[in-house]
Amino acid sequence: MASNHVVTVEHATKRFAGHTAVDDLTMAVPTGGIFGLLGPNGAGKSTTIRMIMNIITPDEGRITVLDHEAASRDLSERIGFLPEERGLYKKMKVLDVLVFLAETKGMGRSTGRRKAGEWLDRLGLADWKAKKVEDLSKGMQQKVQFIGTLLHDPDLLILDEPFSGLDPVNSQVMKDVVVESARRGKTVLFSTHIMEQAERMCDHIVIISRGKLVVNGPLAQVKREFGGRHVALSFTRNKERAAPVLGDRTLIGKVDDYGASAEVELAPGGDPDRLLRSLVQQDVGLSRFEIVEPSLQSIFVSKVGAEAAVAPAQEGHHA
Amino acid sequence: MRKVWAIIRREVVERVRTRAFLISTLLFPLLMAGLVILPGYLMTRSTGTKAIALVDASGDSLGIQVQRAMLAARIGKGDEARAKYTVQRFPAPGRAAELRDSLVAFTALSRKAAQGFDGILMVTDSTVSTGRANYYGANVASFDEMRDLEQTIRPIVIAKRLSSIGVDLGTVTQAVRPLNLETTKVSNGKLTAESGGSTFALAYAMGFILYFALLLFGVQVMTSVIEEKTSRIVEILASSLTPFQMMLGKVVGVGLVALIQLGIWASIAAYFGKNQGKIMAAFGATPGASPAFSLPAMPIKLLLVFFLFFALGFLLYAAAYAAVGAMCSTHQDAQQMQMPVMMFVLAGFFSTFALMRDPNGTAAHVLTFVPMLSPFAVPLRYSIAPLPPLELAGSAVVTLLGMLLVVWVASRIYRIGVLSYGKKATLKDMVRWIRTA
Repeated sequence: MASNHVVTVEHATKRFAGHTAVDDLTMAVPTGGIFGLLGPNGAGKSTTIRMIMNIITPDEGRITVLDHEAASRDLSERIGFLPEERGLYKKMKVLDVLVFLAETKGMGRSTGRRKAGEWLDRLGLADWKAKKVEDLSKGMQQKVQFIGTLLHDPDLLILDEPFSGLDPVNSQVMKDVVVESARRGKTVLFSTHIMEQAERMCDHIVIISRGKLVVNGPLAQVKREFGGRHVALSFTRNKERAAPVLGDRTLIGKVDDYGASAEVELAPGGDPDRLLRSLVQQDVGLSRFEIVEPSLQSIFVSKVGAEAAVAPAQEGHHA
Repeated sequence: MRKVWAIIRREVVERVRTRAFLISTLLFPLLMAGLVILPGYLMTRSTGTKAIALVDASGDSLGIQVQRAMLAARIGKGDEARAKYTVQRFPAPGRAAELRDSLVAFTALSRKAAQGFDGILMVTDSTVSTGRANYYGANVASFDEMRDLEQTIRPIVIAKRLSSIGVDLGTVTQAVRPLNLETTKVSNGKLTAESGGSTFALAYAMGFILYFALLLFGVQVMTSVIEEKTSRIVEILASSLTPFQMMLGKVVGVGLVALIQLGIWASIAAYFGKNQGKIMAAFGATPGASPAFSLPAMPIKLLLVFFLFFALGFLLYAAAYAAVGAMCSTHQDAQQMQMPVMMFVLAGFFSTFALMRDPNGTAAHVLTFVPMLSPFAVPLRYSIAPLPPLELAGSAVVTLLGMLLVVWVASRIYRIGVLSYGKKATLKDMVRWIRTA
C-alpha cells in the first residue's frame, strides 16, 4: 500500500456471535493530521480500532499499519494506543507504571524514566510520581494513562474515545497535546461520538454506522459535498427588491424567509457568485452574505439517521 | 523478549515489594518453628518428673521391683538427664481399693499440694499372671506417657513370670532387653546416611512443597489475571504484547517469586536444623524432648530431578490457572472455575501417600506417565529408589509435552478470554475459543 497512508483497511469484516460488528469496511488514514472515526455507540468503532491494533483479527479483509500487515505489536514503539476500556495497575507507583508501559513498548528503562519524568512535569503531576496510582484523583489517573500512551513519542496515535469521561480541564489539556502531536507531523486516529469535538479537530473523517462506512473524506470536502449550498442573507433596505432574485428557480432551490434575513438553498447548478452579483444589483443593502457550512452534527444526523445519533449508550463491545 | 522480561520484572518486583510478601515470608517460618518448638516445650513441661503413688497389693517383691525400675527411668540423655518418676510406695495387701480411694483425693490436684500425686499405679497379686495393672491419673490420654509407663513395668512382669518357672534371673535380664530397630536406607547398591524416617520425611516434603506452591502461587497467577481484567489494563498490554507473551511473563514471574520465597524458607529451615539444639535451649525446651527435626541430606541428582519436575509441574498448573483467570471476571466465578484444576492438584498430592507405600507398583509406573500427576510421583519415587534412566527420561518428555499442550490450550483460552468481560465463560465458549484460529 502507498506509504502516504499510515493505516489502510480493505474490506474488513468482523462477526461476533449473533451480529456483524464491522461490515466490509474500507478506509485509509493519510499520514499526518488528525483523523476522526465517528459513529454512534455500537457502530463498530472500537472493533475497527481493535482490528487495526491486531488485538482481534478480522474475519475477512486486510489491514495494514505503517505498511505492515498484522504486526502492530512488533511496531508498538511507533504506535501509541489508548483503548476505550482503560486502566492502570492501581497498586503501582505512578513513575513505575509509566516506566513499565514504556518497556512494553520496547523502550529502555532509563529512557522511559526520563521521558515519564518530563511528561509528568509538563502535565503538572511531578509531585505525584512516587504516589500509588490508586491515591490519585480520577482526572490525574487519566492524565497518567494519557502519558503512558504517548511517552514513547509514537508516529501514530490511536485513541479510542479519548475524551469520554474527562472533565473540561483535562479534556482541554489532552486536546492540546493531540493537536500539538499532529502539528509535529504525527498522525492521530481517534474515535468519538461527540461531533463538536471532531468538527474542531479533524482534518479527515470517516463516519460508520452499524459497521458500514457512511461518509469518508477530508472534513472540508465532506462539508462542501454535503452542503456548500446554503447561503445566509441579511438585508438593510429594499428587501422586497430581493424577491425576484430569490424567486429565480434556476438559482434558488428553497427559501427560508425571516423578513430582514433569509436562508436559501441554492438550486442544483446555482452559483453563489451569481446570487451575490444579482443581489448587489438590486441594491438591497446586503449586510450578510455567508455560505453556510453545515455542522458535522447535522451531516451526521442526516447520514446516520436521527434515531441512531441519539441512540442510548449500548453496553455491547464484544471482544 | 525484552517485553516479556518487562512483564516478568514487574510481577517479581511488585510482588516482592508488598507487605503481604514480607509478612508471609516471616510468618510462615515462625509458624513452622512454633510447630516444632511448642510441642518440645510442652513436652518438657509435661514430662517433668512425675510423682506416682504406687499402691502395692502384690504381696511379694513385685511392688518393690516396679518402684526400683521406675526410679531408674530417666528423661533425656547424659548430663541433662533427670528422674522420670518419684515413687512413693504404699504396701496395701488386702485393702488396696480403699487405699486407692483415699489417695485419689490427693491426685491430679489443680493446685499442686506438696503431698499431691500425678497419678496412682496399682499392682496386685494377679498382675503377673493376668498381665493387668491399673493406673489412675489426669494424664491417661497421653499415649507417650502411658507407653513409657508400660515399657517401664513390662520387663519386670516378664522377668517375674520367667523366673517363676525357674529361668535364671541373669538370663531373664538379658532376654527382656528391648529391641531397637535402627533403619538405614540402601540406595543403588550403596549404604546411605539416611534413616527410614528421614527418607519418608524427604519424600513427603517434596510432594508437600509442590502442592503448597501450586495452591499458593498458582492461585496468585489466577487472581492477578482477574485483576488485570477488572482494572482494564489488559487491553493496553494486549496492544504491545501477544497474549502468549503476557501469559508467559506472568507465569514465569510468579514462579520466580515462588522460588524466592521457598528459597528463603529453605535457608531458614537449614539454619534452624543446624542450630536446633541452641534454639530449643533458648526457648527452655530440652533438646531431646521434641522429635528431632533433621533435614535429610538431598543428593544432587534428586535435587535436579525435583527441580525439573517442580518447574514442569508449576508451569503446567500455572498456565491452567491463568486460563481459568482469563475465563472469569470475578473472584467468585474463579472459585468455581478452578475446581477442575484444583482436583488434579489434590489428586497429585494424595497419590503421594499411596506411592510411599508402594513406590514401584503398577500405580506408580502409570502415574509416572500422566503429565498432571508425574511432577508429584517422579521425585517421590526417585527419592525412595532411583528410576531406570529410560523411565525417568520418558516421564520427563511426556510431562514436558503435556505441559506444552496445557500451555498451548491455556494461551488460546487466555487470548480471547482476557478481553472478554462480563459473564464467565461456559464450557462451550472455551471449546470455541480453543478452536478459533
